[in-house]
Amino acid sequence: MVTDLGIELPRGMKLSNPVIAASGTFGFGSEYARFVDIGALGGVSVKGVSPKPWLGNPPPRVWETPMGLLNSIGLQNPGVETFIEKDLPLLRSHPTKIIVNIIGHTVEEYRQVAERLTNQDGVHALEVNISCPNIKEGGMMFGQDPDQAFAVTRAVRDATDLPLLVKLSPNVTSPVIIAQAVEAAGADVISAINTVLGLAIDIGLRRPALGGMTGGLSGPAIKPLALRIVYEIAQQVKIPIIGMGGIQNAEDVVEFLMAGASAVMVGTITFQYPDRMNQIIRELPDVLQSCGFASLREVVGVALPQSQKSNVQRAGVI
Amino acid sequence: MEEGKRLTCPVVARTQAAEGHVELILQSRALARAVPGQFAHILTPGVLRRPISFSRIESENDLIGLLFQVVGSGTRWLAERSIGNELDVLGPLGNGFPAPDPMKPWAAVGGGVGVPPLFAAVQKWSHLTGDRPEIIIGARTAGWVVMENDFKELGIEPIVTTDDGSKGQKGNVADPLSLWLDNHNEAQVYACGPIPMLQAVRRLSAGRATTYLALEQRMGCGIGACLACVVPTVGDFGLSYRRVCTDGPVFRGEEMMW
Repeated sequence: MVTDLGIELPRGMKLSNPVIAASGTFGFGSEYARFVDIGALGGVSVKGVSPKPWLGNPPPRVWETPMGLLNSIGLQNPGVETFIEKDLPLLRSHPTKIIVNIIGHTVEEYRQVAERLTNQDGVHALEVNISCPNIKEGGMMFGQDPDQAFAVTRAVRDATDLPLLVKLSPNVTSPVIIAQAVEAAGADVISAINTVLGLAIDIGLRRPALGGMTGGLSGPAIKPLALRIVYEIAQQVKIPIIGMGGIQNAEDVVEFLMAGASAVMVGTITFQYPDRMNQIIRELPDVLQSCGFASLREVVGVALPQSQKSNVQRAGVI
Repeated sequence: MEEGKRLTCPVVARTQAAEGHVELILQSRALARAVPGQFAHILTPGVLRRPISFSRIESENDLIGLLFQVVGSGTRWLAERSIGNELDVLGPLGNGFPAPDPMKPWAAVGGGVGVPPLFAAVQKWSHLTGDRPEIIIGARTAGWVVMENDFKELGIEPIVTTDDGSKGQKGNVADPLSLWLDNHNEAQVYACGPIPMLQAVRRLSAGRATTYLALEQRMGCGIGACLACVVPTVGDFGLSYRRVCTDGPVFRGEEMMW
């Protein structure tokens, strides 16, 4: 029976289990406190934070699609100072690992926000978001070009000693090339994937359904795409991967682990079932056992091609 | 205000409220403590829950109503629920209407499925004000007029308007509201309905009445985390997008940037 779900990511970042709330779906955490046991989560990646407040995109901002959710929030956030003053104190009262997703319009803005969050009580890691499809400048622009991805990652790396996750976009020809660039620039962990660029039309209004026109697709519809990208990246980089995209249950988590992820993030399903992450964490040991595993370490990368398995030291699982 | 919880609530009655409109009555002590204007966020088979405001709140027997138009897959599934089925609900959520000032004339203006939360408000508070509130309810066509008889059962005769003139006055709710505002000073107007209707209510009421508007928006989490359900409001530095789910659904007319 697997009793210990703990994992250790680089720079000594220990999680009690591999299930983390995905950025953008969990606010600044405390909104969910009355529906979710936040302390039982492996971690929480908070909504993207920029140096100054961002307005976000015009509504409507969400649209349901078959097995998916299209969103165009546009990274509305109150800015890093308000986050530190108001939101962080509420969140850090929960015994979980706090990952702050950071965003900027320029490399300098990413550096600024990273520097500001370093040495803040309760901030355990940063997740550099170079993959949001819903803003024109910054965001995905940095995640679609390996040189830009390298530059942002290196600037943030130079500004902080915190564990550094870099969240990649699926909206590129080769996510592997971007993954290699951010690894070379000093990223500790790769988060994959952000949402998939999409479009819905409101036939009554004869125009795109979302105020931001295009949006990012999440939910079960993108799970195969996300798994494929994790599987590709895992064969080409040495740093651990946090996999995400459409996870609904513990079996889905095991799929991502087998594809080479050391941990996962869970997002869209939380809107339907706020406590689903807690349920997944409870059920994961049984699912691992039924698949014949005695520890989390044995699972990671087991579905990778034979020649690649030895390459996967991935996160040292405790 | 009551903190919303995740609840399992049985359906105890189902009525065809109008053509393509269904009202479900749920039994729930927690929901029956809701304030008119608050809503329930209901699990359906899709990827998102569906936010529906309470059409009636009967705290004495722990019943609430959810009246909706069947417009898509989620509401179609909901309309197919029958007595004994249970719904998975987050609620009550959001900020409802304030109780009306008993000293001021009161009008409630609803369009389409905007009528139900106003009925809940009138059901709860109509005895407070000296004069009965003025009720103006509009719909596209006669078959879509909802809750007219519920108001009558409270002893209030609503003014009905339809776009096509198939029932009541032809036109929209703006004309009767304008007339009423001409004859009432320092009034209070509660409204819920399509955005163009609410814009008209706000314009007509400006400088003449305090307006409380219950807004609708495509919604994600329902509890303030995802920032999907925003509406444009007047902020300290110009446009500010605020959440219908937790900053609203009820806003004062002058807060809106339309």
